[in-house]
Amino acid sequence: MKLLEEARHAHLCGVTRRHFLKTCGTGLGAIAFASLGGCTPGLAPSASKMGAMDPLAQRSPHFTPTAKRVIFLHMAGGPSPLELFDYKPTLARLDGEQCPDSLLEGKRFAFIRGVPKMLGPQASFQQYGESGAWISHHLPHFSQVVDHVAFLKAMHTDEFNHAPAQLLVQTGSPRLGRPSMGAWVTYGLGTENENLPAFVVLLSGGVAPDAGASVYGSGFLPTVYQGVQCRSKGDPVLFLSNPDGLPSDLRRQSIDAITQINRQQYEAAGDPEILTRIAQYEMAFRMQTSVPEAMDIHKEPPYIHDMYGTEPGVTSFANNCLLARRLVERGVRFVQLFHWGWDSHGAGASEALNVGFVDRCRETDQPVTALLRDLHQRGLLDETLVIWGGEFGRTPMLENRSGLDNPFVGRDHHSDAFTMWLAGGGVKGGITHGETDEIGYAGIRGRVHVHDLQATILHLLGFDHERLTYPFQGRDFRLTDVHGAVVRNVIA
Amino acid sequence: MTKNPFHLGFLMAGLRVTLHFYCHRDRALAMARAVRRHRSSILLIGLARGLAVAATLLTGLSCTKSDEVNFNRDIRPILNKQCVACHGGIRRQGDLNLLFRAEALLPGKSGKAAIVPFDAAASELIRRVSHGDPNERMPQDRDPLSGEDVRLLEQWINGGAPWTPHWAYVAPKDPELPAVSDPSWPKKPLDTFILARLDQEGLTPSPQADCPTLLRRVSLDLVGLPPAAEHVASACEHADTYEAFVDSLLASPRFGERWASMWLDLARYADSKGYEKDIPRTIWRYRDWVIRAFNADMPFDQFTIEQLAGDLLPAPAEEQLVATGFHRNTMTNTEGGTDDEEFRVAAVIDRVNTTWEVWQGTSFGCVQCHGHPYDPFRHEDYYRFLAFFNNTEDWDQDNEMPTLPHFEDADREAGEALLAEIRDLEDELRAVAARPDITRARLAWEGQLDDPEIVGQVPGRSQNEVRRIVAIPVEERDVGQEAFLNAIYADIAPDPRLSDLRKARREKQQALAALEPVLTPIMRELPTERQRSTHVFERGSFLLKGAAVTAGVPAALPEMLPEAPRNRLGMAQWLVSIDNPLTARVMVNRFWEQLFGAGIVESLEDFGTQGEPPSHPELLDHLAITFMHEHDWSMKAIIKDIVRSATYRQSSAINHDLLERDPRNRLLARGPRFRLSAEQIRDQALAVSGLLRDHMYGPSVKPPQPDGLWQNPYDNTRWVTSTDDDRYRRGLYTYWRRTVPYPSMATFDSPSREFCVSRRVRTNTPLQALVSLNDPVFVEAAQALARRMIRQAAGPDPDAQLLAGYELALARAPTASELASLRTLYDEALSHYGASPDDAYAISGGYHSAELAATTVAANAILNLDAFVTKQ
Repeated sequence: MKLLEEARHAHLCGVTRRHFLKTCGTGLGAIAFASLGGCTPGLAPSASKMGAMDPLAQRSPHFTPTAKRVIFLHMAGGPSPLELFDYKPTLARLDGEQCPDSLLEGKRFAFIRGVPKMLGPQASFQQYGESGAWISHHLPHFSQVVDHVAFLKAMHTDEFNHAPAQLLVQTGSPRLGRPSMGAWVTYGLGTENENLPAFVVLLSGGVAPDAGASVYGSGFLPTVYQGVQCRSKGDPVLFLSNPDGLPSDLRRQSIDAITQINRQQYEAAGDPEILTRIAQYEMAFRMQTSVPEAMDIHKEPPYIHDMYGTEPGVTSFANNCLLARRLVERGVRFVQLFHWGWDSHGAGASEALNVGFVDRCRETDQPVTALLRDLHQRGLLDETLVIWGGEFGRTPMLENRSGLDNPFVGRDHHSDAFTMWLAGGGVKGGITHGETDEIGYAGIRGRVHVHDLQATILHLLGFDHERLTYPFQGRDFRLTDVHGAVVRNVIA
Repeated sequence: MTKNPFHLGFLMAGLRVTLHFYCHRDRALAMARAVRRHRSSILLIGLARGLAVAATLLTGLSCTKSDEVNFNRDIRPILNKQCVACHGGIRRQGDLNLLFRAEALLPGKSGKAAIVPFDAAASELIRRVSHGDPNERMPQDRDPLSGEDVRLLEQWINGGAPWTPHWAYVAPKDPELPAVSDPSWPKKPLDTFILARLDQEGLTPSPQADCPTLLRRVSLDLVGLPPAAEHVASACEHADTYEAFVDSLLASPRFGERWASMWLDLARYADSKGYEKDIPRTIWRYRDWVIRAFNADMPFDQFTIEQLAGDLLPAPAEEQLVATGFHRNTMTNTEGGTDDEEFRVAAVIDRVNTTWEVWQGTSFGCVQCHGHPYDPFRHEDYYRFLAFFNNTEDWDQDNEMPTLPHFEDADREAGEALLAEIRDLEDELRAVAARPDITRARLAWEGQLDDPEIVGQVPGRSQNEVRRIVAIPVEERDVGQEAFLNAIYADIAPDPRLSDLRKARREKQQALAALEPVLTPIMRELPTERQRSTHVFERGSFLLKGAAVTAGVPAALPEMLPEAPRNRLGMAQWLVSIDNPLTARVMVNRFWEQLFGAGIVESLEDFGTQGEPPSHPELLDHLAITFMHEHDWSMKAIIKDIVRSATYRQSSAINHDLLERDPRNRLLARGPRFRLSAEQIRDQALAVSGLLRDHMYGPSVKPPQPDGLWQNPYDNTRWVTSTDDDRYRRGLYTYWRRTVPYPSMATFDSPSREFCVSRRVRTNTPLQALVSLNDPVFVEAAQALARRMIRQAAGPDPDAQLLAGYELALARAPTASELASLRTLYDEALSHYGASPDDAYAISGGYHSAELAATTVAANAILNLDAFVTKQ
């Protein structure tokens, strides 16, 4: 935890000095500058490890990165790869057969009990692009951009319930209390933007992630690194709006008064922390303008709205995709989307492969495709890593909980095999890494554990995942725990 | 100290001789060398080594000279940094472990000993670190050691390779008070240690803080609230009232509320169970116990014993059972499909880790999976300690059993009668289920568990544990496992003798539930016949059980008293025995950190070799000794010593020289200055605006928070905002849901309480500014403060109102220029609200007054001043 004190001290040496020399009255600038004697390297040796920065100032990673920013499209609930990317004609032939015992031995499922039947793919597949990727008929838009994408077809995880599996993907541990990937990345890289949070979270699908805010929390890292949820209703950031009856120009005047008095306080007390506080009030004021501006999609031209299928004023995944592009454009480091509704058990219409799942595909296909195209046409895709995937996959068996005739079909949670994809940010486009068996039950080649994916993401951002650590309770912790190997094959 | 019997014996023999050479290490070594040259007898060589070791030990501890090798200062950092990652508690490559001297002297895989005392040339360690061939040289694939490091290692080995224990594992000794340059400065003995160090550094202490600043500081520190302005005015007129002022704060019931906040972070207290569902938990009676204990100044040894083992005291009082809620604050997983045994073990592991962090300042968590990487704790030590916690009844159940019911007075008699009847029925159920014919039926049932229908009768989350036990042959199961199966079977067997008893039990349970008792989770030990055996978990996994272990404490620390019971009670007594080198130091260091912003040992949670060394070692020992012996573990007394010291009373102003010399104030040439805690920031805003209600205790409350934050897909618990006075209570009574913490407090760095946290990080972020500027709770406080300012000023004069606001908020008058800045803001606001009556109505909270609106804007600014959110 010394880090923060070091960072804070170093902050004074870097950002504050710049800020005050540039923007503040000469009197204060002179004081701030004079107080910086303590920043000479020899006198504050510990600070030099961090470089001159505040906790959110830009930092260099371990080596030259190919990605500078991340958009993580988390499809919460666990989308079925068998209806999207993992084409299994054999499974179609086995449709309706009893599942052989050999597949069930020693396995635990969340809901399947007894001997289930096999369920063939509920989709038709074709190959697309120069790469010839197999894509189902549920994703007509996405099939046109597959050459930007690297598929990881033999992902696997340790967890088969939503909350622990989501935590494992996002924090590297199935238990609460660890920092999320966005927090680690922000801790490692800082922010490129002085007017917006470095790590923004956008939710859609009507339900928050199962593990709550912990999937984008800072765990034991300082709270400055936690994801800030930007909301479509109410204040986009909590407490961003001035109270009723306090207009912006009066807020400006009140911050001026606070700053003047704090300057006097600084002259008397000499504590550099006061200068930081003055700067943070200025940033809060800027955020009051910049966050609503970034979150307001009204001014996007019609062709953009057509492309994404967006509708200003609602909460939707499409709007969040467009917001993600606007945010990375403004230098937000990590944009985390969660879209709930992929938990296709088939126990009811909203979660059936033949109803709710089709709706989810329709909601996401166009905007995801638009996001890749839009980033590409703006030259942002090269340095923006886009990740798509859920917390686990689905069984090739039919889940039939009640044992009765059921108009809906679905699959149970499955941790052994699922598909995720990466695009942009130095990822090799148009490739497929890994392969599952002929029914999509287990990876047989190129298996990638969630920790391997995390190691790969950090690698693209310029980090050795074993060296991006933080000391807590006497131990150096990292995102990948004690695991993780970079998937070199997907790196351009 | 070394455990090598060979060396120990001679060391003792040589000690008397060596004492003569106390602080004359060179002469002792010369004598040792002289003896060795003769090599006439093994005994003499041994004596020589003993002499050298003892000489080095003594000089190392008491007479350190900078040119001598000191193991802890010079050698251990090299070993920790360069060697133990591969040759320590995790990996023992080449069969070498450099954590324990006895092991380091043994021949490794190569047959050569890494360290041959007195003979660097024969020591493999020296050969390898100075090897010319990079393939042979250690550390492998890393930069070679510096010449200086190699020279130190050689010198150390030639001196006998003495292995002094890390300072924290040696009991503190009462240090002599050092001589100081200005004997009139210290007000308390502790001040001499601070001043002596400042003397060494050529620094002088800061003058005492001015009276209002000091009274505000000590008030925020002791009761978590600012002093009332009128008290400050009168107290500051009488120069000698600081001591009396401190005494009145220590006697205030607010004292317990403030210090409970610190303890509740350690206890990971929360109002929810954690994990995915994170549903409500009722354990506020434990929180109230902590407040009461601080207020009653319960001695820390008793405070410890009641929380860790109150249930094992003879005839425990109800409050002593409530105290054991400390370790029932672990998380409970109520999600379907989870394995109860897995999460029971997770809770037990958290209890071990938390106990070590809280009382021993030691990160014991590493030892769950392997030996400690840096500190002298072995893998088995962890599980021996875990055995103390492995036999409580709680088992990750939704109902959080065992719980302590608390009834309304009118129901008490009926309720306790029902409880007794239920207990009897449970005993009977178990006894009946143990009858031979039913046991036979159970064994038959065990054989049918492959049938999904049969196993389906077992509660889902117990199924795995049942399967695991059933897989063990009957004769190899321990009593706890048999008792577990017996209890499961008693709850489902179709036998009418059992089902009748279950029906009777169900009726009594329903009658009990109808009384709506408050059920507080507590610790309760399993009866002997149901106790679990404890095993080492290989690589930390509860499924890989290794050797069985019995309860005990690590060998690197003093032993338990022979007469102490080998259970949680004996363990708690061991923690607070005066021989325990860590407990008192760890605790006084926590108080110090709360008051000065950084501990004497900055890593509060790690006193081990990887933690920070103490800035003032003798001061730490002085405080620990005073806490234990002079004050008999009185927490109020030791806190009082500190706040009455000259060190504490210094002004916190920083001049440029000081900032340059000691930017983080480790030397304490000035007073503490840092941002208030999340709770203090809320409480202070409510206090100065007159909104704060001082109602204590009871269920947690839900002050306003933004809509839509509680959105858990599996739980329809909603945040229903408290009405009336409950909106305005102190932050520590705010409902603490682990996965959705109260947003304004989380923004000011309050932890989630999922795990024990010793130190809160203090950040300084724009989101904090948004809270204190715009959160409706803070806006309401500004509105109330504005009305108070007008009342206090007793007239329409804006300057008088602003002056009143400053005094109410900061217990001092503004300077002329501070007042001028506020006045400018007031005038700007007044001109806006004169023209916009609707805005005036809105910002003032429903009044048609441009003046009140303008005062509200000024009050909002006052509540956002650095001086307001900072203790200085």
